Amino acid sequence: MAVDIPKSFEELPTSAPRHIGRGRRRIEDPALLTGRTQFIDDVELPRMLHCAILRSPFAHARITGIDTQEAEALPGVVAIVTGEDALRWSHPAQSSPEGWGTHCLATDAVRYVGEPVAAVAAISRYVAEDAMELITVEYDPLDVVADPAAAMKADSPLVHAGQGTNVMMDRVFTWGEVEQAFEKADCVVSEEFRWNRMGANPTETFGCICEWDPLDLSLTIRGSIQSPSMFGLGRAATFALPSNKVNIISQPHGGSFGGKGGTRGTDVTCLLSRKADGRPVKWIEDRVEYLTAGGSQAWDRYYSASIAVRNDGIVTGLRVALVDDLGATGEAYGAICAAKPLAAFTGPYTIPVAEYDLKLVATNKVPSGPYRGMGPPPHFFVLEQLMDLAARQLGIDPAEFRRKNFIPKDAFPYMIPSGNEYDSGDYEEVLNQALALADYPALRSAQAEARKEGRLVGIGVASAIEPGVFDWNAYAIVGMPGTGVPEGATVSIDIMGFITVRVGFSLEGQGQYTLVSQLVSDYFGTDPEMVRVVYLDTQSAPPSFGPGGSRLGVAITGAVLGACDRIRTKASQVVAGLMQTEPENIVLRDGQFGIPGVPEAQMSVAEVAGTMLARSDLLPPDVDPRPEATHVWTAAGRTPADEEGRAKSYLTAAQAVHVVQVEIDRETGFVEIQRYCLADDCGTRLNPATVEGQTDGSVAQGIGAALLEEYSFDSDGQPQTTTFMDYLMPTVYEVPTVEKVAVVTPSPFTPLGAKGCGEGAIHTTPAAVLCAINDALAPLGQMAREVPAAPKRLWDLIRLAEDTSAEGSRTG
Amino acid sequence: MKPAPFEYAAPPTLDEALAILSENDPDEVKILAGGQSLMPLLNMRLARPELLLDLTRIDELGGISARNGGLSIGALATKRDVEDSALVRERNPLFMESTIMIGHPQIRNRGTVGGSMVQADPAAEYPAVAVALGAELVARGPGGERVIEADDFFITYLTTSLEPGEILTEVRIPDLAAGTGWSIQELARRHGDFAIVGAVAMLRLESGICVDLRVVIFGASDRARRHSEAEALLAGERPSAALFDAAGRAVGQSLEDPTDDVHASAEYRRDLARVLCVRTLTEAVERAEGSGG
Amino acid sequence: MAGRQIRVNINGTDHQAIVEPRLSLADFLRHELGLTGTHIGCEHGVCGICNVLIDGRSMRSCLLLAVQVDGRSVETVEGLAEGEKLHPIQEAFMDEQGLQCGFCTPGFIMSLKELLDRNPNPSEDEIKDVLGGSICRCTGYAGILRAVQSAVAKMGGGRPSLLD
Repeated sequence: MAVDIPKSFEELPTSAPRHIGRGRRRIEDPALLTGRTQFIDDVELPRMLHCAILRSPFAHARITGIDTQEAEALPGVVAIVTGEDALRWSHPAQSSPEGWGTHCLATDAVRYVGEPVAAVAAISRYVAEDAMELITVEYDPLDVVADPAAAMKADSPLVHAGQGTNVMMDRVFTWGEVEQAFEKADCVVSEEFRWNRMGANPTETFGCICEWDPLDLSLTIRGSIQSPSMFGLGRAATFALPSNKVNIISQPHGGSFGGKGGTRGTDVTCLLSRKADGRPVKWIEDRVEYLTAGGSQAWDRYYSASIAVRNDGIVTGLRVALVDDLGATGEAYGAICAAKPLAAFTGPYTIPVAEYDLKLVATNKVPSGPYRGMGPPPHFFVLEQLMDLAARQLGIDPAEFRRKNFIPKDAFPYMIPSGNEYDSGDYEEVLNQALALADYPALRSAQAEARKEGRLVGIGVASAIEPGVFDWNAYAIVGMPGTGVPEGATVSIDIMGFITVRVGFSLEGQGQYTLVSQLVSDYFGTDPEMVRVVYLDTQSAPPSFGPGGSRLGVAITGAVLGACDRIRTKASQVVAGLMQTEPENIVLRDGQFGIPGVPEAQMSVAEVAGTMLARSDLLPPDVDPRPEATHVWTAAGRTPADEEGRAKSYLTAAQAVHVVQVEIDRETGFVEIQRYCLADDCGTRLNPATVEGQTDGSVAQGIGAALLEEYSFDSDGQPQTTTFMDYLMPTVYEVPTVEKVAVVTPSPFTPLGAKGCGEGAIHTTPAAVLCAINDALAPLGQMAREVPAAPKRLWDLIRLAEDTSAEGSRTG
Repeated sequence: MKPAPFEYAAPPTLDEALAILSENDPDEVKILAGGQSLMPLLNMRLARPELLLDLTRIDELGGISARNGGLSIGALATKRDVEDSALVRERNPLFMESTIMIGHPQIRNRGTVGGSMVQADPAAEYPAVAVALGAELVARGPGGERVIEADDFFITYLTTSLEPGEILTEVRIPDLAAGTGWSIQELARRHGDFAIVGAVAMLRLESGICVDLRVVIFGASDRARRHSEAEALLAGERPSAALFDAAGRAVGQSLEDPTDDVHASAEYRRDLARVLCVRTLTEAVERAEGSGG
Repeated sequence: MAGRQIRVNINGTDHQAIVEPRLSLADFLRHELGLTGTHIGCEHGVCGICNVLIDGRSMRSCLLLAVQVDGRSVETVEGLAEGEKLHPIQEAFMDEQGLQCGFCTPGFIMSLKELLDRNPNPSEDEIKDVLGGSICRCTGYAGILRAVQSAVAKMGGGRPSLLD
């Protein structure tokens, strides 16, 4: 059965969409606003126990003994697990790159501060923590390596002795005649950069309730789980269970941004449930656990990068060398973040050739994981600083320099050197809109005035691509197998005409249940209030990946519209039979099935559904009587990666230009963001209010990345930022008002022309803020190369400039 | 992140609280006021008393009143009480300003004046203002009442001169003398965070000459401290940008053992102390001039 | 450490309970009374997600012990809506998409209730002062600021010029 998915609003079976394409109240909100939504810590099960995890205080040590006797004797304690239990009942975690996973509880040595060593299940979290303190662990400290440059040296301590090296991967990818491009360049700009670890910190940490069934030998896991199907497959592998014996129930969760993590804690909790004879065990990661050893520490990177430029301002080549500190294991998939830049390596520019020298290194730090944007935000920070350096060197305005290098709007679909194809765009228009919104010439003249007064005012103009609708093939270079990421939905109309949609992902904040209700109600001419969206666990749901890689809005739109179309086809057969005509004569429009232009030959969706469900005796014999259909949408045309990692991977390419004005306090190094303007193009906007919300939130996270957020470690691998007093999340005071304008270039490849937009602004914000800071510092001859641009770092640079100039005036 | 077990007492009178304190090993007792600093330590099990002595039921320790040319603030008065007090607003705008700078409303609703003093966080506003204003801290213990000068009260990081068995009962804040120009400024990574460095300046102008100078730096080292060398540079002089700079340099040079942490190096703090000294002196002089002094 | 009896009025209803002294107010509300609308974000007083009102004043419920609210009145997010009718602040958050994941939202709403109960026409500084005590990771605060403006209008105050 051919399925016809509308490529634009005009193709929907409605005279005028009343819901899709409009911002509207979200169906998720009443429960959230009244405290009725059940997050994982709100769930109580009969006989449930509570887990507390004992963690390593050392970054590297051999475990020479564990004594749990005293803890076991504490009233209220039911089970205690250690590395012995992990060895007996589980396998090491799967990892990327492969072979760098360990057991969920340390079996021989600990490799980072916060690594789980033992865990207690007790009648309350309070008692579990009491018991935890009664466990004695003997450690024999080992030499620590907390710096990837040191870790790559021949005499470095080894994080995993058995590996013989700390280098998890070391490869150079070359796309085109890079050597030649750099030889022929009029000008080559090279610089080094440092992006410090930071990460997601959703307001809800990870939590789970694990239940081992000792008779069925199966696992049921409830949790704040972003990607339930993948999570379930991982647990099946860890516990050597058939995949149909692991059921994942994803509770609504308090944000994720890729940084929910939780696999290790879940595995520990599963072991506890098994040891407690199958009683359910709840583990709620507390904030200190999250900040010390949770799933969000991303992008611990050292860059060395260059661009080749012609005198006319055309960039002809890009070289990026990245040393990425992945921490102690590959279990958290931080490596994927190093691979993802392939999907947009050269950004919005026509740079024809590129090279990526990629080194993934193990150190005695928490395994690094994903975070919103996955890997491109630091990559674009680097690329955009190089663009500004080149523009400055050639005396070209940074906005115009970008304009010269943009992929022109008639060049799409456009293949970039690292192999991905961009779907559509009008980058110059986005630039024009952003510059107009900001009144760029006025900003520049105000800056010139401020500079005369010696003030450090800077303007950043940066552009980046948000790859949307991910595919696994983007990550082939770090060992992720396969191609294809499905999303399914089941749409059912009941006998009264009310519609239920069943999906495999739970609430996370992006408003996708509302989107589903908007789609269905416009398709069948009903109201969103008549649509119910129901979450199904992994043993019941249609194939689903859920949110991630800026995919779900597009993917669920495809799934829902596909399912609607399948119902339309079935219902048309039914109506044709009743009206004694051919199905192709039946048209669905504005909630009515019938023959166009014949008012008496019309049936409402509810009438058709009622007839199908109540009167199967009246239906044509070969028609399925249920007004229900499932459709599974998968991005078409994705190609397996070649040996250089090239693949058509992410389906869409949204683009943005941000214009930022900052002033640096010359005496203190503190940065004030004085103006924040952006234009972006993420194709058709299915729910503009929601898209704006994603943008606002993503700018805020980008501000945090640019100025505030950093996981610090000392040279012994001891974390320095384990509370919210020291890990600095932006508050309302630190986030500027964002002025926005939208450009809409629909994607030719997606349902309704929408592009992935969930990760959004964080691709551009850190780059833009740093461009502005470096523009401010330019008169001093200084440049911020390190993110976050914390006041102490900028103060150092300003002092350096003053010392240099003082020296200059002394010697000169 | 749950506290270890403890016994709990919340007596309604100061005498009962003192009696409980004397009956227990002082090392095993933690005194709870607003709890905005102590509760996190309990939750993290970094503090683990046998007994938590909660003073928040002792009504006699609350209240704000006028007293001998100053304010008498009960140790258990909350920052909210101060913020809402017309008396404080009228008599001591510096103390009011420092109150509003503290944390966030939800913290000020619960956190107490006495709690901040006893916590003696080197980056907190109240100890700095107490030192600058020459506040007196009143303690009761087994030996009766004791009045401690602010400068003698704050010893070092999280340490005061309160004896075991003593409870802070009252903070006496002298009124600002007529014509006093004052300023309190701080630099924090985020609004409401503890300061990386802060400064308080107070002075009066007599015929255009600076007198009664107070320069206090906080957040930069182990405790809020007066910087008499900077004060001396300005005393008896007409205010000028050059003198402020000199005072700032003096502060920077005399700062002992500045704190070095993830947010700021020692050297950076030293320089910020200089900068804030200049800025607060400048603002204080503007206020003094504005008051017609 | 014997349990202690407390009496507390929560959202207009008197409760009696016997609690261990170390039990936090947040855990008491959530796990003893099933009032799980108050969420826990950091348990060290920084994030503001667990804000509730004690005698009309917003405070961190992770930094209070259940024993400390003996004899007090506590308001939580569950007490705001009247049957099917949302409180104007809740309405405003819904109208303006002042929430995404919604985990931090009850803490913001309770603090805003304190503000607007006392001051129906707050200044921009007063609004930011209150919002600054909570962390939202999803919205970038733009929707929340719009929601406050809308709530002020709904509750009869003037309109602050917050977004000018």
